[in-house]
Amino acid sequence: MKRSLTVFTLLLAFALVAAACSSSDEDATTTTGAAASSTTQADTPTTAAAATTTTAADTSSGETTLIIGTTDAISSLDGSDAYAVHDWELLKNVGEGLLRWEPGSGDKLVAGSAEDFGAFSDDGLSYTIKLKSGQLFGDGTPLTASGYAAQINDRLLVLEGSGGVGPALGQPYLTSVEAVDDLTIKFNLSDTWGFFEQLLAGAPYIPLNPTQFPAGADAALVEFPEAPIYGNGPWYIDSYFLGETTVLKPNPKYQGSLTPQVDQVIIRYFDKPEGMRDALLDGSIDVAWRILGPDILAELQDAGFNVETVAGGAIRYFIVNHTRAPSDDPNVYKAIASLIDRDDISDRVFAGFVEPLYSPVPVGFLGATEVFDDLYGSPDIPAAQALLEASGYTADSPLQLEVAYPPEHYGGTVADSMQVISEQLEASGAIEVTLVAQEWSEYIGAVIGGVDYSVSLLGWFYDYPDPDNYLTPFVANGGLGTMITDPDTGAGISAAAQALADKIAEAAANGDQAIRKTLYEEAQAMYAELVVTLPLWFEAEHIVYGDNVAGSDAFGSLEQLNIGATIEYNYATNSKG
Amino acid sequence: MHPLLLTFMIFGIPALIGLLYVFVRGTPSLRRYIVTRVALTIPMVLILASLVFLVLRIIPGDPVTSSLGPKGSPEVKEQMRANLGLNDPIIVQYLSFLGDVVTLDFGDAMTSGQRPVVDELGEKFPATIELIVPAALVALTIGVLFGTFAAVRRKRASDYGFRLFSVVIYSMPVFWLGLLLILVFGVWLGWAPTGGRIDAVINTTLERTTNMLTVDSLISLNWAAFWSALHHLVLPTLTLGLILSGVFLRLTRINVVETNEEDYIAAARARGIKERTVTYKHALKNAMIPVVTLIGLQVAILLGGAVLTETVFNWPGMGRYLVERIGLRDFTAVQSTIVMFAVFVALISLAVDILYSLLDPRVRY
Repeated sequence: MKRSLTVFTLLLAFALVAAACSSSDEDATTTTGAAASSTTQADTPTTAAAATTTTAADTSSGETTLIIGTTDAISSLDGSDAYAVHDWELLKNVGEGLLRWEPGSGDKLVAGSAEDFGAFSDDGLSYTIKLKSGQLFGDGTPLTASGYAAQINDRLLVLEGSGGVGPALGQPYLTSVEAVDDLTIKFNLSDTWGFFEQLLAGAPYIPLNPTQFPAGADAALVEFPEAPIYGNGPWYIDSYFLGETTVLKPNPKYQGSLTPQVDQVIIRYFDKPEGMRDALLDGSIDVAWRILGPDILAELQDAGFNVETVAGGAIRYFIVNHTRAPSDDPNVYKAIASLIDRDDISDRVFAGFVEPLYSPVPVGFLGATEVFDDLYGSPDIPAAQALLEASGYTADSPLQLEVAYPPEHYGGTVADSMQVISEQLEASGAIEVTLVAQEWSEYIGAVIGGVDYSVSLLGWFYDYPDPDNYLTPFVANGGLGTMITDPDTGAGISAAAQALADKIAEAAANGDQAIRKTLYEEAQAMYAELVVTLPLWFEAEHIVYGDNVAGSDAFGSLEQLNIGATIEYNYATNSKG
Repeated sequence: MHPLLLTFMIFGIPALIGLLYVFVRGTPSLRRYIVTRVALTIPMVLILASLVFLVLRIIPGDPVTSSLGPKGSPEVKEQMRANLGLNDPIIVQYLSFLGDVVTLDFGDAMTSGQRPVVDELGEKFPATIELIVPAALVALTIGVLFGTFAAVRRKRASDYGFRLFSVVIYSMPVFWLGLLLILVFGVWLGWAPTGGRIDAVINTTLERTTNMLTVDSLISLNWAAFWSALHHLVLPTLTLGLILSGVFLRLTRINVVETNEEDYIAAARARGIKERTVTYKHALKNAMIPVVTLIGLQVAILLGGAVLTETVFNWPGMGRYLVERIGLRDFTAVQSTIVMFAVFVALISLAVDILYSLLDPRVRY
């Protein structure tokens, strides 16, 4: 027995030694992120040599590390395909777009890697802009107009992403991109798009390093490139482990104005917000960002952390199916709109941590109004009762209404909020509500299909911070289940619906922001009259941090660590004391 | 070298050598048994994989709508489905899947960037192994020690106390115990981290090879990383290990009590051998045989418990991965993960049965 044990132990030791020897030969040619950690040593031998001997104390000698916790996850690091909020956040810290949003603002576009704003042609079908000269990606690769044009032409406009959504912010709007000279870029637009500059500030248009994201014949999606990942922004990704951590360090070749204030940023990924809360409490992380529930926020506030609300971009709303009874009856959908008490939902379910939403376009965006409050009182029970009675629904013969929702997809508060809404609807005395909970995978297909549900809950986060993105998706081509237009032809199901579709298209095509503002105000009024969707609340984001972290007073939203309504977290503006 | 392969090497090579040793030195019946069990593992895994394939395709939802949600036009979604082979006839999909299983090509995940599943498992599987192996050791150590202690002090207060402990601890939901330990030792006392595998800053200094951080830190002699990884293992290991220790405690106690009543034990006492030697050298050794058998059964429970433990402690292992992918209807990832679970459980079970026959010469297959 003893001899067997000895043999076993020796074999185990041999296996360990074999593994150690194999690590120096490790071939890091895969395009996934699994071997990302090992490439740092191959590419930056100096760092690796130090890495194996440093301790945490040595690492921190003179170095500051900001650790940010999040419940988000990386889905793709290829700007031609990336769509998720966190993907864009990383891309916007590693890269700098031709135009970008000023930190802390919700509506201030500034020049990023471009010298200045570009100009539309007279016919509005092209947009020309000039890069700053001498820009380099972090590995020294030059950023040129021809390289950028190839990136857009060969990747964004061509490649089919695994998500398929990143390209949707390029292909419908552009026909091609040209390099006029070494620095000048000309975008050829498919139509006159008044919000093109907002689009240009999005992650799909951020310059990508051609050595890691090749164009031309080698163009292919590289969703999980090997680290280090260099862009033209203030940071580069030194290493990343999916579901665990991402490490960012200052880009030595960055020439812009967003200078990092710390030596290292580590993103720690959490499965549940409770885990993130605990990490904040035990000091494992400095900042908790996306997504914390109201009870956790209150707890952290009591514990002395700074809990700040960011304007946010996510909305919750009901999809009202205009081709399915009983929600195809105008009296019914207007009655429902008249019964919703958003303040009650915010107070009872979210402890005041969400904002009532009275329009599909949230406050802070161009032309936003509060039209649903103006039109429907919110709540106005007598008006609702009158509308229901006009359609024959009374206390003796109540409306049987099914309201569907996904219990797990939007967090634990959804079920509570649906219960509160159910009570509000039944307070009319003429509605009996049946709540239908459906698991997300099945639910979303059923909602968008526009067949199974009359009233269903959905959430939305903008693709680009423009009112168009809060209106068009719910009107055009079936409208994600509203069926206000025909899914195949796009024609409105009524004259009013067609007029709304036309109004939104007119606003999208107009380049004059003042005119667009007026058009969007009119569109919202028409939208509310039809109750295309029923906006409920605006889910603000929250950032929680200790007193040792601070933003920059050079930008707005200081208390929110310079995160404005665009929800863009620029790590470079944060310092740690 | 791929982390998954390295992990299998670390545990698999000694196991394989042990298996060969037993095969060579064992009885003909044992050899027949080993061959039969190994041969039966293949159809078992195929049947299980087929069942998983069928169930995933029956339940509503698909990976495209799950991951895109309301975003993405119908054309985009249809193109994605075509790219993922979801529009192919079901028999074509099934045969393609079987081919992947047989060739150990797990394919690409259908969501989240369509990474090769083997790469994803290469990150997750070692993390789970790093959790369940020490948890099993904790369960065995606590269970066997306390069980023996209780048996020796039979019908005394300590015996009743340990028996009560075993029932209470085994009845506890694993996630509840985990949350309790986090609250007390992590948040209130600050003695242990509340989650994760290693300190985030120290992690930047660690070179990963096997993705088992304790092993990797030993390989690279990074002692700060080793202690940090060990420190982070304490609470999740205790959570899983304590839960399982209850059943080991009771089984050990019962078997030691019964063994203590055997004639050879009475004879040993009559010869003046010290009580401690009688208990731990003679009685316990023989009482351990059924306990060893139980380990094989408990591995499957360990894996199931690991799902919840990984969620509570933010441990990026296979359990969490599986739950996430089921929600996304990521057929490839789910099928591959379950096949891996099945193979793992089957191999452990086989190893335990062989060990059982070695421990008890009376056992014949």
